[in-house]
Amino acid sequence: MTKVNLTINGRTYGPLEVRDELSMNDFLREYLGMTGTKFSCGAAQCLSCAVIVDEPDGTSYTSPTCVTSAVSFDGKTIRTVEGLARDGELSALQKAFIRHFAFQCGYCTPGFLNEGQVLLERLAKAPVKRADLENTIAEALDGHLCRCTGYIKYHEAVRDVILADSRRYLVANQ
Amino acid sequence: MKSELQLQLAVAVLAVATSMFTGYAVSQTVPQSLASPENFASIADTEARSAAMFTELGKVLTHPRCMNCHPAGDRPRQGDESRLHQPPVMRGADGHGLPAMRCSICHKHANFEPGRMPGHPEWHLAPREMAWEGKTVAEICAQLKDPARNGGRKVEELIHHIGEDTLVGWGWAPGAGRSPAPGTQKQAGALVEAWVKTGAACPAQ
Repeated sequence: MTKVNLTINGRTYGPLEVRDELSMNDFLREYLGMTGTKFSCGAAQCLSCAVIVDEPDGTSYTSPTCVTSAVSFDGKTIRTVEGLARDGELSALQKAFIRHFAFQCGYCTPGFLNEGQVLLERLAKAPVKRADLENTIAEALDGHLCRCTGYIKYHEAVRDVILADSRRYLVANQ
Repeated sequence: MKSELQLQLAVAVLAVATSMFTGYAVSQTVPQSLASPENFASIADTEARSAAMFTELGKVLTHPRCMNCHPAGDRPRQGDESRLHQPPVMRGADGHGLPAMRCSICHKHANFEPGRMPGHPEWHLAPREMAWEGKTVAEICAQLKDPARNGGRKVEELIHHIGEDTLVGWGWAPGAGRSPAPGTQKQAGALVEAWVKTGAACPAQ
């Protein structure tokens, strides 16, 4: 057993005593009841289980939770899909997913939302040229598997958000 | 009659249990052994003895636990069958993965058995110049002795690298479902030391 402390969606948790063999996915879903993060392949292949990890230097990345222990997240600050909406209002990306009907069964959707959110935050700090946008989105979402949709509407929804606020996400006049 | 049925039941249970244990034993990978430097004492010629010891060490160097992270390309391999790593991760600029998919995102400080995920604090690929995939033991030997391709090391430093480095040591404690490298890290270190002390000769092939 190991004590863990972490911050999830802005709220601190811990110290909580957890088994060393408890996966982060089980910790979120079974221990904390946060079932927005899904379990699918169990092999870090589909990324339905991915959460956002926020580093102290201001960068963020997505991390699988199915093959990683809860203990390995001790001291970390993470965001799950439950934390994307603020004060009851869905994020721009969540609204775009709904508007584009980007999902079907919704199982992979939390992973796509988290990845899309990380992409938006990255572009806000380091905009790309419009000509590079399609590849940028494709590379960012690459690795997230979806059995239902064929991915197109996920891509379009993310692109829609970026183009709607192009001054923030794209290099000016390019 | 009742005792006959009881006997038949006991025999059946015993047969099932025996087959289960046998199957379990067979399913476990039998670890390969590694010869010690003393086993080569009968080779009188020093150079030949040195080369023979390196050939024995080659069993470790060419084992999947080592070879999988010394690939020729930019993708690691995994498993005893050395299939391409899934998910399809890449080396990146520093061998620790791409910016959005660092090795350490999945590979934490230690093996995580519930996820069958190997781990070490410094999980990464060996540099491109240390690729062993597709090479013969003789070619690997020449590469290990070349400072331009062995991280600038003198051969003496290989004794510590192979015999004591903890990431190398993971190869002997890889977790369930992966066969460990032959012998032990201590035995491999002893072979390297003996190889170095006998002139670090390379085998012909």
